[in-house]
Amino acid sequence: MSVLIDQGSRFIIQGVTGNVGRFSARDMREYGTTVVGGISAAKPAKDIERIPVFPDVRAACAATRVDASVIYVPAATALDHVVEAVEAGIKLVVYPGDGLPVRDAIEMRAAARANGATLIGPNTPGLISPGKAKAGFMPSFCYTPGALGVISRSGSLSYEACFRLTSAGLGQTTVIGIGGDPIKGVSAAEALELLHADAETRAIVYLGEIGGGDEYDVANYAVRRDAKPVAALIVGRQAPSGKKMGHAAALIGSHADTHSAKMKALTKAGVHAVGTMSEFVSAVTAAFNDLSASRLKSA
Amino acid sequence: MLLTEHEGKRLLREAGIKVPPGTLVRSPEALARRKLAYPVAVKAQVAAGGRGKAGGVVRAATSVEARSAARRILGTRFGGKKPSAVLIEPWLAIQREVYLSVTVDAAADGYVMLYSPHGGVDIESGEPPLRYDIGPAHRFRSYRLRERLVTVERDPALREKVIALGRRLVELASSRDCVTIEINPLVLLADGSMVAADAKVVRDEYAAFRAADIQAAVEATRRGEPRPIARALAGDLMLVWLDGDVGLISGGAGMTMATMDLIGDAGGKPACFLDCSANPTPGGYRIAFDLLDHEPKIKVILVSIFGGLTQMDRVARVMREIMQERKSGKPVVFRLNGTNASRVEELFAGSGLHNHTALEDAVAEAVAIARKGART
Repeated sequence: MSVLIDQGSRFIIQGVTGNVGRFSARDMREYGTTVVGGISAAKPAKDIERIPVFPDVRAACAATRVDASVIYVPAATALDHVVEAVEAGIKLVVYPGDGLPVRDAIEMRAAARANGATLIGPNTPGLISPGKAKAGFMPSFCYTPGALGVISRSGSLSYEACFRLTSAGLGQTTVIGIGGDPIKGVSAAEALELLHADAETRAIVYLGEIGGGDEYDVANYAVRRDAKPVAALIVGRQAPSGKKMGHAAALIGSHADTHSAKMKALTKAGVHAVGTMSEFVSAVTAAFNDLSASRLKSA
Repeated sequence: MLLTEHEGKRLLREAGIKVPPGTLVRSPEALARRKLAYPVAVKAQVAAGGRGKAGGVVRAATSVEARSAARRILGTRFGGKKPSAVLIEPWLAIQREVYLSVTVDAAADGYVMLYSPHGGVDIESGEPPLRYDIGPAHRFRSYRLRERLVTVERDPALREKVIALGRRLVELASSRDCVTIEINPLVLLADGSMVAADAKVVRDEYAAFRAADIQAAVEATRRGEPRPIARALAGDLMLVWLDGDVGLISGGAGMTMATMDLIGDAGGKPACFLDCSANPTPGGYRIAFDLLDHEPKIKVILVSIFGGLTQMDRVARVMREIMQERKSGKPVVFRLNGTNASRVEELFAGSGLHNHTALEDAVAEAVAIARKGART
C-alpha cells in the first residue's frame, strides 16, 4: 500500500500547455503514471504530449474518471484553479508553485477541506509512491519502493535525502512534499496521520528545518504509544536568526524556531534526529532497528 | 516585510482605525521648523523590533528636548538598522494599555487574534495572550471573540471596542495582504476613546503582484541594499550574506541550508545563502558568479545543486559557458545531481571541469581550498 496515490490513480494536469506542465506531463507518464487529461482555457488544443486537452476541469471530469490533479499555474491564478478542481469533485489536488500569498494559501486549504479534498502544497515538488505513481516533478531515480514513509518541507532536500536512502537500499512507500510555506494543504501532523494509518509504512522519515512549528508536531507524534519509529534530519544549523532562508517559513524568530530547540524536542520524544546529512542514513537505520527491538520485546 | 510605524499607521488610518496625529521629520533641523504642542513623543522610525526597550521612544517637554532626542535617535542603530526618520506624536493621556494583534498561524488554519489586558513593552515576559483561532478572515465571529474575552477582560465597554477593532484588523489583514498587524499598546485615553499608539505591520511580499504599495516597498528595500545584493534580488535570487569564506551557489532552500551545515561540519564557514532555484537560467547564474567573484572575502565557490524541475544537463551547459567567459580565477567546485544529471559528465568532458559524485567530497574540497587561501 501507499498513501494518497498508487498505480490506479488517474490524473489531470491543469496548466498543461505551459513549459512546466508539458515537462511534468511527459515525466509523469514516463514514470508509468496515468495522465488522462490536461486543462488549458487559454490555449485550446486537441491534445498535448498525446494527452487530451479540455477547456476546464468539469469537462475533463465529465469525459473520464479523474482522481487527482496537479496544477502548474502562476501564483496569481493558483487559488482559482485549486477551487475549480475541488469543486469539480477531485479529491486530491497538488499545487507545487511557490510565491503564493499567504491569504490565498489560507483560502486554498479551507476550500479543499470544505469539499472533502486533500491539498498538497504550495511550494512543493509534489508526492511520489515509488514504483506506482508520481504527482509532481521530483527526479524519479532518487526513489525506490520500500517501507519508509517520508515527509519533507523542502523539495531539494528530499531529493538528496531519498537518493541516499535509495542508494542504501532503504525504499519508500510514499514521499510527501508538504512544502516550505507556513500554511500548507497537508501539514506535518496530517501527513504523519496518513503514514501512520498505512500498513505498509513501517517507519517514518521527517525532513525539516529551522522556523515554524512542524517539528513539534513530529515530536508530539513520536511520544504516542502506538507511534511508528521516526527518524529526522533538521537543517539550518548555520542559519542566522531574523533572516528568511528562502522558504517563507524558514525564519528564526523565537527560541522554539532554532535548530537546537528542535533537535532537543525531537530527541527527547525518541526521534532519531540528526542535524547533518552525513548522519542521515544511519539515523534511518537506527529507526528501523527500533522495529526489530520492539518485536523482540513483544515476543 | 516589516513596515515602519508610520507606514503601518497609514494603513490603519486608511482602514478607519484611529491613530494619534503624527508628524514625520527626517532631521533635528526639520523638527525645529514645526509648530508642536508639547509634551510630545519622539519615536524612531525603523523596521526592527524592540525599539521601545532600546530607547527609541522618548518624551520631550520642549522643542529643545525634542531636537536633542531626535538627534540621538537618528544616530542610533536599532536591531542593526538606522532610523529613516522620527515620528512626533502628542504625548497621550493614557488610562489603560492593552495588546491586540492579528497574525497568520498554521495551528489556526489561517488568522489568529491575540489579546492581552496588559499591553506595553513587557508583553513577552507576562502571561501568554488570549488566543482566538479564526482561520480564513470571513470566519471571524464577534460572539466567539467575546466569549473568550470575558475570561480576561472585565471592562465590557472596552471589550466591545476591542471586538469592533478586531474585526477591522482581520478584514484589513486579509484585504491588504498583511501577515501580521500588532497594536501594542492599544490605548484607552482619559476621554474614553481608543487609539492605536503603535503599529507593527508585516506585509506579504508574495502579494506584490496585486498590491502596488507592496511592490513599491519591495523595490525601495532593494534600492537600499548595496548594488551587488540589489542585483541578486532583482534577478530573483535568494541571498543572505554570512561571515565565512566559502561561496555557495545552490538550488532550493533546504539543500542550501543542508550544504551550509556540511561546510560547517567540514570545519569551513559558508559565505552566503544563495539559492538560484527561482531563476536557474544563464542570466541568474551569471549574476550569482558576478556577485561571488567580486566579493574579496570569498576564497572558493561551491556549486551544489540537486535539481528536480531544474534540468541538470542545461545547468552543466551554462556552467561550462560561464567558466569559459569568466575573468575571476577563484576556484570553483561542482556537485550537480538531479534530473538529467547522468549527462553532466559528458557535458563537462574536455572542459577541465570536474563534477563530484558525493556532496561531502565536494564540500571537503571547497573547504580545503578556502583554508589554503586563508593561510596565503
